[in-house]
Amino acid sequence: MEQIKNDIVDYLKANSFMDNNSSLKDNDSLTQNGIIDSIGLLELMDYICEKYSIEIPEDMLTPENFDSLQGITNMITKLAK
Amino acid sequence: MQVAEKLSMNILEKLNGNIGEIALKLRCFIKDQVKGFKKKGVVIGVSGGIDSAVALTLCVQELGKENVYGLLLPEEESAPSSKTLGAEICENLGVSYEEVPISPILRSLNIYDQKEQIIKRTCPEYDPTIYKTSLVLPDFLNQGLLNVPYIRLVKDGKTVGKYRLKANDYLELIGLQGVKQRSRMLVQYMYAEKMNYAVCGTTNKTELVLGQFVKYGDGGVDLEPLADCYKVQIYALGKLLNVNEEIIKRPPSADTWSHYTTDEEFYWRMPIQIMDQILYAQEYQLPLQVIEKSTGLSRETIEKTQKHINRVRDTTEYVRATPPICYINK
Repeated sequence: MEQIKNDIVDYLKANSFMDNNSSLKDNDSLTQNGIIDSIGLLELMDYICEKYSIEIPEDMLTPENFDSLQGITNMITKLAK
Repeated sequence: MQVAEKLSMNILEKLNGNIGEIALKLRCFIKDQVKGFKKKGVVIGVSGGIDSAVALTLCVQELGKENVYGLLLPEEESAPSSKTLGAEICENLGVSYEEVPISPILRSLNIYDQKEQIIKRTCPEYDPTIYKTSLVLPDFLNQGLLNVPYIRLVKDGKTVGKYRLKANDYLELIGLQGVKQRSRMLVQYMYAEKMNYAVCGTTNKTELVLGQFVKYGDGGVDLEPLADCYKVQIYALGKLLNVNEEIIKRPPSADTWSHYTTDEEFYWRMPIQIMDQILYAQEYQLPLQVIEKSTGLSRETIEKTQKHINRVRDTTEYVRATPPICYINK
């Protein structure tokens, strides 16, 4: 789980509006903190699908699953099983 | 607005009120703007939809039919009804009009082929001779899903497949699709300048707030008489102005996909009456209890919808922005 979180943070630092020096708490909102916008979200989905070789079903495309580090990590863990 | 007035308000009734006064205000605006620009009249792109029908009628009422020129600007993927309804309203109002297909411009830029390639790599079974396509977003109110675009394959009017678009394909597709509205803008200005007319826009307030227009496409105009009227007010204006019932009943659409895709399916993700009531409530900071009573939605759904709208508003700020200027002497 920690590895997934680290991967996502590294991705966000390299590809989003997240500052390289800032830290991200598990439940911080990615949209409300201006880290990703709607296009950033699509890019993040593509990254997750490719990195973990998973397909995200439509009913899992919810704000709860994508708006925080914890939500994303939980979703990947569930789908990668 | 007083607190007591806010609390007893029915939002839809409020939106549908004073339509006669609004029509008069819009007519004055049109006249003042055209005069202010020192232009002799207006050119309008007539799409067969309610917005252009209302704008055209107001322009004719205020400027006279001889000072208004209608342009029908169809392309390969336009619904045939767009052209027939557009021609009909021009004829009913006695407005001179012309059909200028924009497909040759799109073909010269390879727009259709590039679009087809994206659809093919997104939907493996896509065959243009069998399927029609549309771009849709999941319903928001019932499912609360994220703004994730899907290509939908349609055969004989039925959805037979739905595929999520990758980010880079989506961006490319939006750029290709925008060429349609931007080509229309070019043609409208070609005519407007020849006639010494202004280009009249047809964007309404719902579209403006949500960024539901193409920058320098349908947003590239000289005046926007409808841009402070929510979509439900445009319908009320349409009724007041006796716009053809077929146009009023037609589901609104950008009409840029081979399968007619409604604005509810791609932009609003909820019925327009709900969207407009929530936008109006945000504009006038109405209490939640008024929104609950007016829309019949739960407090939780309203709050979720408001957040969603705020996100859309934020992400489309760029679409509404005029080019910032660096003032060197300030």
